[in-house]
Amino acid sequence: MIVKLERIEVQSRRDMEMIDITSEIERVVKESGLRNGVVLAMTAHTSAGLLVTEGIECLERDVLAHLERLAPKEPPADAYHYWHNRYLDYDGRLGFNAGDHLKSILGGVNCFFPVENGVVVRGSRQRAYFVEYDGPLARTVLIQVLGEGA
Amino acid sequence: MSDRSIDFHTHPLLVREMIARHPELADAARKTFFIGNTFQPLETFHLELDAAGLDKAVIVAVDATTVRGATLYTNEQIAELCAMSDRLIGFASVDPHQSGAAAKLETAVRQLGLRGLKLDPAMQQFRPSDPSAHPVYEKAEELGIPVLFHAGMSWAPGSRLEFGHPLLFEQVAIDFPKLNIVLAHLAWPWVTEAVALALKYPNVHLDTSALYFDNPRDFLRHAMTHVVPPSVFECSLRGQILFGSNYPRVEIKNMAAAVRALGFSTDFQQLIFGGNATRLLGGLA
Repeated sequence: MIVKLERIEVQSRRDMEMIDITSEIERVVKESGLRNGVVLAMTAHTSAGLLVTEGIECLERDVLAHLERLAPKEPPADAYHYWHNRYLDYDGRLGFNAGDHLKSILGGVNCFFPVENGVVVRGSRQRAYFVEYDGPLARTVLIQVLGEGA
Repeated sequence: MSDRSIDFHTHPLLVREMIARHPELADAARKTFFIGNTFQPLETFHLELDAAGLDKAVIVAVDATTVRGATLYTNEQIAELCAMSDRLIGFASVDPHQSGAAAKLETAVRQLGLRGLKLDPAMQQFRPSDPSAHPVYEKAEELGIPVLFHAGMSWAPGSRLEFGHPLLFEQVAIDFPKLNIVLAHLAWPWVTEAVALALKYPNVHLDTSALYFDNPRDFLRHAMTHVVPPSVFECSLRGQILFGSNYPRVEIKNMAAAVRALGFSTDFQQLIFGGNATRLLGGLA
């Protein structure tokens, strides 16, 4: 039985950005010696996410644009407001990024793939993305393998 | 050649490389300044500037040795970080309660290469007009460096809001007419008083690093279009407003977007984001 957890750091470079981490997930699986089982990935943040979609630039832009429409950083003037816009006395700053937290919820914060004969099984179009909603920041992604070794 | 765009007010408290070299800076960030964000590589600071469309940032120390027994970076640490990045402009700090403060400032500027002075009367707990601080002002005037004062509301634990009232800086502006004074945070909630001071004294400037409720866009719209009409800034104070973010209390990108959303003319925005700061720094940003 193999259970291994690895933390990787992802440096986002823009305010909102999709970063393909598929190869990192595959690397962790390969280095773990996992033969059959699953690999799980999760972002450790609440204003970032993980999701699976087709790996093309136009779709990346559509995903970000749609989430921004659903949960804008700044709500339309006089339409509604975010309760989160207040001083956070545990954090020493204002929390005015409710829209980014909401995007994280809508897009999800984790994903998993089966592993078969040491290979991560995914659809031919599927890629795993770390999604930054409030960057640029150095972020942590947790990748865990679980299953049988060789 | 156009002026460099500058964030005139940042605290480098989250820089991971400096925490690794000087572990006490973690406590300075968490306990003295009180900020809970995760520590970040220096690269994130650069990327924040990129995301805001800015070239450089002023990084400040705060010397609160007497009152808090702590410094938020020493002058030497500020110089050390500046040596790691050509995008950072270092400001010193001295403790006005200490007798050698003026000499320490001279060392920071002449030997360490720092370009300005940061004082936080609310955190350092001194009255800005107190004569005990005059040797420091005299030295700053002699050195030709600007003084960035915290003014207005402060989130820092133990800070005294009364020492941030803008009218407490009036005597300093009178006594040191050649000293360029920058009052941070628009001195909120005393924005009108701070604007009055800047209107009367040409050596008084204001930075935009104000965020105390709502979000940067709505807060600055409130302070700079409702509390004080935007025409006052655009027409009367165009040479006295500097962009500042107060990062990491607020991300630079968010404050920059909020200032740009105010609708000021392009040439005034160029002064806010670079021209005025460059002039205060002696023309070499």
